[in-house]
Amino acid sequence: MDAFGMGLVAAIGALATVAGASEDIESDIGSQSNPNSQVQLAAQVGNPHRIYNKAIAGEPPSNALWCTTAAIMAYMLIEAFKTPALFAIVAGASLAALFVGVMATSAYFGRSASQARFNQWIYLDIVRYTTPSIMAHVWITSFCITTIAYLQVYVLTPHHPFPIPVIALIWGLTVGAIGSSVGDIHYGGEREFQWRLFGQGLNTMLSGQIVRKAEAGLRNSIDNAWFCAKFGGPATGMGFGLTVFLDSWRTTVFDPITQAPYAIAMGLFFIITMNLYNLYMEISTRRKYGPYPGYKGDISA
Amino acid sequence: MNFDINTLVYILEITVGGLLVGIGVHFVPVGGAPAAMAQATGIGTGTVQLAAGSGLTGLLSAGLMMSVTDNIWLIIATGAVGAMIMIDATMLTGSWIYAYAVGAPFASAKVNYDPFTGFSQPPYIGPGTVGQGIPTVCYISGTIGAAMGGIGGAMIYYPLVQVNNNPAMSAVFAIGIFLVSAVLASWNIQGTIEGFHDPKFKKWPGAFKACAVASIILAIVAVIITPIGGV
Repeated sequence: MDAFGMGLVAAIGALATVAGASEDIESDIGSQSNPNSQVQLAAQVGNPHRIYNKAIAGEPPSNALWCTTAAIMAYMLIEAFKTPALFAIVAGASLAALFVGVMATSAYFGRSASQARFNQWIYLDIVRYTTPSIMAHVWITSFCITTIAYLQVYVLTPHHPFPIPVIALIWGLTVGAIGSSVGDIHYGGEREFQWRLFGQGLNTMLSGQIVRKAEAGLRNSIDNAWFCAKFGGPATGMGFGLTVFLDSWRTTVFDPITQAPYAIAMGLFFIITMNLYNLYMEISTRRKYGPYPGYKGDISA
Repeated sequence: MNFDINTLVYILEITVGGLLVGIGVHFVPVGGAPAAMAQATGIGTGTVQLAAGSGLTGLLSAGLMMSVTDNIWLIIATGAVGAMIMIDATMLTGSWIYAYAVGAPFASAKVNYDPFTGFSQPPYIGPGTVGQGIPTVCYISGTIGAAMGGIGGAMIYYPLVQVNNNPAMSAVFAIGIFLVSAVLASWNIQGTIEGFHDPKFKKWPGAFKACAVASIILAIVAVIITPIGGV
């Protein structure tokens, strides 16, 4: 263990936290998250809307694609042209953002046009001012993940044996999986889906009944980002940051060549702690919220 | 290439790895889009995506370990721990949102009492939903599933590196074999599962057979093709 290595692991954890947060907010702006099933259904049950809808792929594969695109360009510039790393990563992230701009626009047009028979319109103003925010968030995500991959391969000891694009592929897949597991729940609690009492899930009968109006005017995807940036995005960042940080920390503190069993034992300690924390949360929510009032079964709470 | 006893051992290791991934996916509590709306118990995403996210994080850890040691037990253990850390961090932060943003108690719709804590479940299930959140039994089941995925990923990766000495190519092959097993298993699951206490879990022999056939074919191809077509 050395101070430089620990500083690098801290930097990697911080970058991962930012990447997780921006990934989740990006998917909420584009409504690529799981609750988009309701948005997709909305026009069919008579609620045409102004939500940006680019859900043509799950979050993990699409983020893997964007991060790998950025990483391949950065890798090529670093290895073949000896470009400075920062410049190469910035160029890669910009390329990924441009790719996403094309895909998001075509996805929005395709998704909305396919619902023309349900009176769903294509709003050009939505395309004009929502697409750049999606691209900006993708730029942040792919920049952070390519930087993490660069640090793991070239700077942190022991150097990772995989090349930058493979690491970016795996971290991109992981950040998408965490974003779609964690951040989506908060997007699902957004006002768009609030035809329900607080403290319970959406009743299945109300599928597709999304909220389309704000205090003034019609709601759009930027309103969703405003809400999700408060908790869903940061929580996703924490999830991805914990994953990357704890996993790198244990192999930096304990030298994998001589102290590998300690690194594994430390990982097991983290796992047991997280299991106990979840148990604490389960007990605490049961005590604070109590059973649902309408329950008529035989099993006592 | 020399076709000796080692080649058979490599093929066997890759096959076992593929099977572990296929079975491990059944343990991961995924509720899909309904879970993201707090309509169903589990993690609000797809089976393959979560299994791949955790298993491949384990693969990254295993790859790092394999660059410094040849001890297969350390490599497998590191892969399992890496995968478990990823899924536990994901479920933990997801639980924060269920507990503090959605404001719902955790409840499973598939059992009346949690087998680990003994807590009653039906009174805590929201009206019109099939449970919400990640109760202890689902959390532990998910941790076991991630461990199996991580071990499986490491067991696929280890022999491939022995064959071709190229970590990058082996990793890409391992990701491919991993995803094949995960997708086959998720067809068997048909969308959502809560973990080993879910009645759907009893369907695992179907996935076992499918993954066995797919893994053997892929293992033979992976072991034979890399020395011929590789670097």
